[in-house]
Amino acid sequence: MITRFITHVTTRFNPFSPRAKAARLFLTRLPPGARSDGMAITTELLPRTSAAASSLYIKFKDGKEMNLDCDTMNIKGIVEEVDRHSRQLQKQADLDGS
Amino acid sequence: MAPRLQCAAARGLRSAVNTSRIPARSALLYPSTLTPSTSSPRHYATASVPGLSLPAGFVPPLKPPTARPADVRKSQLLRSYTALLRSTPLILMFQHNNLTAVEWAAIRRELRKALSEVPQGTAPVDISPTISLQVIRTRIFDVALKIVEFFDPSAVKSTMTTAITGKKVPTVYNHDLSKAAYEAIKDATKEGTPESTVYAQLSPLMVGPLAILTFPTVSPAHLAAALKILSPSPPAFPAPTRKKSPGYHDPIVQGGLQKLLLVGGRIEGQAFDIDGLKWVGGIDGGLDSLRAQLVHMLQSAGMGLTTVLEGASKSLWLTIESRRSVLEEEQKAPEGEGEKKPEGEGEKKE
Repeated sequence: MITRFITHVTTRFNPFSPRAKAARLFLTRLPPGARSDGMAITTELLPRTSAAASSLYIKFKDGKEMNLDCDTMNIKGIVEEVDRHSRQLQKQADLDGS
Repeated sequence: MAPRLQCAAARGLRSAVNTSRIPARSALLYPSTLTPSTSSPRHYATASVPGLSLPAGFVPPLKPPTARPADVRKSQLLRSYTALLRSTPLILMFQHNNLTAVEWAAIRRELRKALSEVPQGTAPVDISPTISLQVIRTRIFDVALKIVEFFDPSAVKSTMTTAITGKKVPTVYNHDLSKAAYEAIKDATKEGTPESTVYAQLSPLMVGPLAILTFPTVSPAHLAAALKILSPSPPAFPAPTRKKSPGYHDPIVQGGLQKLLLVGGRIEGQAFDIDGLKWVGGIDGGLDSLRAQLVHMLQSAGMGLTTVLEGASKSLWLTIESRRSVLEEEQKAPEGEGEKKPEGEGEKKE
């Protein structure tokens, strides 16, 4: 997953719900030095009885925001969705750099 | 081949290849293959042939010893996890998101420091050195949870097996890697696990990279100390101050803790979420104080019970007594004052 262009990640999930899987796995895809490189990552854990949907909010460097529905999408779908925009930014950055 | 193998297994292999296999073969095959036409009686490789026994370190050529170290073999891991789950009453589960080795070391150092400062209290042994934070293999731990909950080794029936002497003997295969264990967990989870089981509550947690913190006893003081380090929440479990423990505010430790996420726990075989864990960590004085509270509650309840029971008999006695006095007055009224006093007293005694 291309994480260079992500600036904000906010997740909310109830770990005792099976629907939290995608959100939790997304957190594991972020590189070890993500926070020190300036990515703001906030995680909110819901109590066990909560039936609220797990949510994932991502903001990119160019200001694009994504609210991904973790209940229906699996981690593959989320990564695909995030990478689709990241690749555009990557292409732009490559063109600017060269 | 040699550099790829671990030393212990490689040694086993080498001994199998060099010493035991070839002599065994030569002993068995050469007499018959080299001199097939001689009239000497044939020797067959059976266990009863004297002087033909396999050496102690014999390794069957088709079953070489594994080259993997014991501590990463899945079967050994599963056995160690089931043993851990059966023996450990208090387990905290963390999700770790790409922590580096340096961060792990720093977190373990701070945790050890904080736990060593917990007063021992009335506990007979200090448990703080045995509290450990370890990374687990999630899927194998998931299977271990199933085995611990759904497999009852004492219910496994014995099967007849052939011993080395040729006799049939009843044998019970009820270890955690047995077919019985496999079938037990398959049956239990075939049609979805019911919500009432602890496994069904804990299985959603078994996602992604996990680490567990294991306590050998349920000690709220140690749990509180660990929570203060690993998952501080200011009012009840504040992080140590910069002055008291400067190492905790090291950027390496802080960077690691941001990536460590407390997701739940298992206390005495029950699933607990973070609030439940905080509640257990907030028990003042540990289990002893809980027991004292229980004893006090039972005592006061007993006293209340005796007064209640006494009260019923007292009120009964009072009503009967008042009724009797009423009856006596009624008796006295029509008969007048001619009645003798001793008879009245006799009536009272009845």
